[in-house]
Amino acid sequence: MLNTSYVGRSLPTTEPVSITADAVTRFAQALGLDDHGTVPPTFLISLTLPAAERLIDDPEFGLDWSRVLHREQRFAYHRELRAGAAVSCAVVIESIKTVAGNDLLSLRTEVTDAEGLAAEVWTTLFVAAATGEGDPA
Amino acid sequence: MSLDALAVGETVFTTAYPVTRADLVAYADASGDQNPIHQDEAAAKAAGLPDVIAHGMYTMGLVSRAVLEWAAGAGVDARLTDFSARFAKPVVVPAGGTTVEVEAKVRRLDGRSVELAMTVTSEGEKVLAPSRATLTAN
Repeated sequence: MLNTSYVGRSLPTTEPVSITADAVTRFAQALGLDDHGTVPPTFLISLTLPAAERLIDDPEFGLDWSRVLHREQRFAYHRELRAGAAVSCAVVIESIKTVAGNDLLSLRTEVTDAEGLAAEVWTTLFVAAATGEGDPA
Repeated sequence: MSLDALAVGETVFTTAYPVTRADLVAYADASGDQNPIHQDEAAAKAAGLPDVIAHGMYTMGLVSRAVLEWAAGAGVDARLTDFSARFAKPVVVPAGGTTVEVEAKVRRLDGRSVELAMTVTSEGEKVLAPSRATLTAN
């Protein structure tokens, strides 16, 4: 089970990373999208998920990535991001719901560039109970 | 096309995309998600899956493509402002490939935006449920 005392906690904001035109083109081509230099709608997951994966390295939190399934995903785009933007990710642990030893971990990530907040990305992960955890019977 | 031309409940598009394992390899390379269950049959079966499965985010990406292709084709003067999905069932991709179908209906309209509700299926199973996209007038 995850350490629920982490709810409300923020991870340190990541250093700005430049979204290259090449990365945008490859992502667009992999989905069959027209490439106009606009960052594809789901591209930000390739930045926000690695930003959250730092939680795996924290033994106090108890997140085992091998038991994780992606359950829900949402993006709110506050303005258009184009290739060349340099963005940082600030991950907040919004909630942890525990049912029969399984956890639903909800994260919200603010994606900002030099002009401020560009997008918000919500990810809910289902974390299956470890063997021997959960079922009290 | 103006958003005023739409009606709640109206089906605005139906489309289908073939999905092959080569597509998943290309998506893995582009996204950085190299989990072997999305590429290797033995790894998928060892993880208790029936076969290779698509990345949930690959399927969601195809839905974004469907929405953007509709908006461009219909000349909708709006941009995507919100996009969500719940991963209900995996898209199973056997060696011969599979198909993902997307149908979109108007769920909500206000003067400035339209919310679409997508039904996303593969082999008769709902794979994303629900999935929604909001486009806001420019």
